[in-house]
Amino acid sequence: MTYVIESVSLSKRYGDVLAVDNLSFNIEAGTITGFLGPNGAGKSTTLRMLLGLAKPTLGHATIFGKPYGELEEPALRVGAVLEATDFHPGRSGRDHLRMLSRAVGLPDKRADDVLELVELQEAARRRVKGYSLGMRQRLGLASALLGDPDLLVLDEPANGLDPEGVRWLRDFLRDFASRGRTVLISSHVLAEIAQTVDRVLIISHGRLITESTLEELTARVGGVVRVQSTRPDQLALALHREGISTSRPNDHTLLAQGTTRERVGDIALAEGIAIHELLTEGSSLEEVFLDLTSEVVTP
Amino acid sequence: MKQLRAELLKIRSTRTTTGLLVGLIALALLFTILTCTLSPISQLLTEREQANVLSFGSVAGVFAALAGIMLFTSEYRFGTIRPTSLFNADRNRLFTAKFIAGMLSGLIFGVIGEGIVLSVGVGIFKLRGVGLVMSGANVTELIVGAVIGTALWGAIGVGIGAIVPNQVGAVISLLAWGFVVENLVFGFLPTIGRFLPVHAADAMMGSIQDKQLPGDVGVMVVVAWALTLAVVGLALLRRRDVT
Repeated sequence: MTYVIESVSLSKRYGDVLAVDNLSFNIEAGTITGFLGPNGAGKSTTLRMLLGLAKPTLGHATIFGKPYGELEEPALRVGAVLEATDFHPGRSGRDHLRMLSRAVGLPDKRADDVLELVELQEAARRRVKGYSLGMRQRLGLASALLGDPDLLVLDEPANGLDPEGVRWLRDFLRDFASRGRTVLISSHVLAEIAQTVDRVLIISHGRLITESTLEELTARVGGVVRVQSTRPDQLALALHREGISTSRPNDHTLLAQGTTRERVGDIALAEGIAIHELLTEGSSLEEVFLDLTSEVVTP
Repeated sequence: MKQLRAELLKIRSTRTTTGLLVGLIALALLFTILTCTLSPISQLLTEREQANVLSFGSVAGVFAALAGIMLFTSEYRFGTIRPTSLFNADRNRLFTAKFIAGMLSGLIFGVIGEGIVLSVGVGIFKLRGVGLVMSGANVTELIVGAVIGTALWGAIGVGIGAIVPNQVGAVISLLAWGFVVENLVFGFLPTIGRFLPVHAADAMMGSIQDKQLPGDVGVMVVVAWALTLAVVGLALLRRRDVT
């Protein structure tokens, strides 16, 4: 299987500090993956290595099967935003985009198109130093979209956004991914992107801690699936047969331990048992995230 | 070519270049008007004396070098080196585009600087009844030398900016070198000092001062400086991570 992004034993050392340590992961097409970790975990360094801005000390990474720098006009396949402040304050938003467009042979009109896409056309000719942080985030996103890419790589794009901005970004990324495109989005706050991503990669101290769907993540760290059914006894038996323990808080409800909604739903379907509610409970995602990333990593 | 178009737009799309041009025009006008009006006529009669005054357009080289430095250092200062490197992952192409853009902007600085000094200077000479004694060939050498020299200073600035990405550090390095180090070396060791870039560039404008290199050798020496700095700057650009 060809992955959109492949990271193989990626490592980066700065002097005595091992910022990224033997990091291997793959990103499939059409997914939104959250790249999570506390500040200083090595997320930004990893993204820079993926994008050819920093050389790995060991290992390698490919995007669409090649190192970023070897792609033919990489900006036409990969859009990336690494900092919300990567603009000359004295240059207009439109000129910033025109300058990048020209570097890859796109017409100036493309700059106007993406400004409209991120709803910045009103401020297009104003100098960036007059932009709010939210506007700068959108301008950054506009620059990433110039080449109409198949992959977006965004480093902490929700930083400093108000709730409306976060919702706008979420809707935008969902729409982007719904057309079969791929997003890798980093954050140090799981809650910020929990409603956006399909999968998460969690790193801490430069190492991969976990790689899973959000649901698997919750289940793995003591998550509980609450299921309501008119036939709870039969369902409990079926779940026990599959090695899943249950408890019974009331007549119609079962709590299934250490599993996922999908698995409970599949078992119920196989048994022909109707279910009326199926949801994951237990630790909050943020608690899970903090638990995982606070673990002491021994070398 | 695509990256060159991007670099030329970068130069035009901020007020930095305008500021440098205004500074150049103001300085060229100020120096020419003051020197040509206040110097005693007896000091403006020989070819060497006139060339000395009219070669002040070479000051455009300082402004061109600063513009060249900004082509790299402002990218690092404002973080635009990240999107720039993402949109042009080939460091060789990126450097070459900046090198050419630095030369082209230097060329324009040179035309404006020397144009102002020559036209205003000769105009004031006329008003004061001083005829131009420089031969046509020498005036041509002065103009071509100033313009080409300034263009090469633009390229030298790009090399310096690639070597020293910190804007303040790069600008101080340039000014300290041009106004202090070179003058000291030329003053004490002219046989070495004349091979340094400021004095070699001066030589391109003809015989302005003693002990300088012949004009054609001056061109080669300045080109060698620009290329040497470019090779070092490119090597560092290729090696350095964009953080």
